[in-house]
Amino acid sequence: MNITRRTIGGLALGAIAALASNPAFAEGKGKVYFLIPDSGGPFYPTSAKVEAKFLEQIGYELTVLDATNKSDLQLNQLDNVINLKPKAIIVAAVDYDAIVPGIEKAKAAGIPVIAFDREIKSTKLDFTSVAGTLEIGRIAGDETIRLLKERKGAIKGKVLQIMGDPGDSYSISLGKGFAEKMTAHPEISVITKPTPQWEPTTAGSTAQDQLLANPDIDLIFYHSGYLASAVVGSLEAAGKKPGDILCLDGDGDPGGLAQIRAGWQQVAVGAPMYAQVLAVAEVLDQIVNHQPLKAGTYQILGLKSELTEEAWGPNMKIPGNVVTKANVDDPVHWANGKVPDVKVTPLM
Amino acid sequence: MAVADNRDVPGRQSMTGFSRTIVESILDNVVWLILFVIVTAFCLFIPGYAQVGIFFNIIEQATFVGILSVGLSIAIIAGQIDLSIESTMALAAMLTATLVSTGELGWGWAPTPIWLVIPGTLAVALTLGALVGLVNAFLVVKLKINAFIATLATYIFLRGAVVAFNGGGAVFGLPQSLRSIAVTRLGGIPMLAWLTIAIFLVFSFILTKTPFGRYLYLVGGNPVAPFRAGIAVKRIAAWSFVLSSVLAAFAGWLLAARTSGATPNLGLGMLFEAFAAVVIGGVSLKGGVGRLSGVFAGVLLLSAIRTAINLLSMPPQYTQMIQGALVLSAMLLDALKTDVRARYL
Repeated sequence: MNITRRTIGGLALGAIAALASNPAFAEGKGKVYFLIPDSGGPFYPTSAKVEAKFLEQIGYELTVLDATNKSDLQLNQLDNVINLKPKAIIVAAVDYDAIVPGIEKAKAAGIPVIAFDREIKSTKLDFTSVAGTLEIGRIAGDETIRLLKERKGAIKGKVLQIMGDPGDSYSISLGKGFAEKMTAHPEISVITKPTPQWEPTTAGSTAQDQLLANPDIDLIFYHSGYLASAVVGSLEAAGKKPGDILCLDGDGDPGGLAQIRAGWQQVAVGAPMYAQVLAVAEVLDQIVNHQPLKAGTYQILGLKSELTEEAWGPNMKIPGNVVTKANVDDPVHWANGKVPDVKVTPLM
Repeated sequence: MAVADNRDVPGRQSMTGFSRTIVESILDNVVWLILFVIVTAFCLFIPGYAQVGIFFNIIEQATFVGILSVGLSIAIIAGQIDLSIESTMALAAMLTATLVSTGELGWGWAPTPIWLVIPGTLAVALTLGALVGLVNAFLVVKLKINAFIATLATYIFLRGAVVAFNGGGAVFGLPQSLRSIAVTRLGGIPMLAWLTIAIFLVFSFILTKTPFGRYLYLVGGNPVAPFRAGIAVKRIAAWSFVLSSVLAAFAGWLLAARTSGATPNLGLGMLFEAFAAVVIGGVSLKGGVGRLSGVFAGVLLLSAIRTAINLLSMPPQYTQMIQGALVLSAMLLDALKTDVRARYL
């Protein structure tokens, strides 16, 4: 077959015309990258999946990169993404300090950077959408106080706090918020133990040993519902029945909700993932177009959220959900997997 | 069992007769001695440690690293190495949990009668282990890829498969019949502890009392001599991979029962603990040398240290450092043993 320059030119024009007639191409606003810390639990992969769905509605294509919990890898990913010149980069940081040089490089290249779920306070960002892990820790503290008061008639008792990885900023921040509430009640004693790499068997063993050494433990607060199954397994092996020891988690993971349904766990303090994700989608056009965001109170999926101007940029704080047996099946909880069918509209 | 010959060590002072027998016996069992000293110290200085329930916990919590260590020891004694065991265990746990879980990500397999979930899931897990072992054996024995590289690749691939299996989701909600393995006690002792002891006894017997076990030592010590003696060296090496993977899958099956489900990061870090236990237990990484009784003591030692750290009151940030320092101390004592043997026996 004799292929001439004219034939190639014609084919190229035809291809461009065909692509231009495709509505997705016509409406495409460009690529956005979402750098998640890990896929080990469902929170970040689900966040990314829902974000992709919301951003698709407003014409952006989302690409997700998983740092497998390695801060150096995440920094490399960020460096690579900057070269691809995306419309924006969303970051859920493995480490909120280690990522800063990469963020500053992206900003210097004119690419807006958004922090998701994990606050980065040491550099200026274009937007932050968080539940506030510190706040979730405080809510968990309040719930602990309430549960102990209901059980013992007074605010006293012994609590086993099973953290996540001791180097994980989520767990550290959660623990700080929880400690703030506990220090106000010296008659509550708290034993804190880590779970390196959030490995559930370790959490189960911690509970098993502590129940023998401290048989008077009233409540176990594990930082993620991800650990619930292993901890409950140890309670069961120790001959406990549902409700013998109070349990709560600090992220509203499906594992914790399953234990609430089974009666072993009383409370989960969940991150409002859908609202956090939606908040990003609802301000993205403004951020990409470098328009200012107006501070104030906004309703995001029915949750009263505060947008404030902080030293690190506009910060949207969305309150965490308290999950109990009464509302465990509510679709608002991300762990129930019912993505809200909402139309993304500009927030302001 | 086979011990390195140190007759050519310079400056060695010979020891004969009864005293030599006594010293050799002590050195052969020095890990148990270290375990005894450390546990005694923990009992004296850590409140709540000295109780029967804690000792049962130590054995029960040693189950997974213990079974992994048996498989790893077999591979190392045979002159190989298997880094994939941790991932095989995690994938077997994930497969077991997914098969029977009634949760969102589970397939909800519920045979009639329901107790069939035990042999059914066990068969699936062990088959998975055998397949992984065969792949490792093919890569190393047939394709002659270095065992470290080949099993490192399967380690990474299988850990990725665990994460990908349910899209990063955790599986929970196992039937009570399967859970019963982890919560049942026989004679007051947890079933998992019995199983751990049984695995060590059975494989100690295989290694020391059967021709297959003796071949493992021979092949691991010097593959040329057994080859010339007509022993199927490649087949023995292949079996060592299959056994280590099947044992890892069995550990995974138990782990699913213990944690009442499976998560993508299940068992993370256990490979390194298994290596530490194997080395503390006196298995030579050069192959052909080692006893499972020593490995069992090594596993118990690590579990005892982990339990002590669980009970100690200290900021959580420091626990891994303490664990590392204690493991290092145990290994230094073990190195001292080797030195004493080289100098005086």
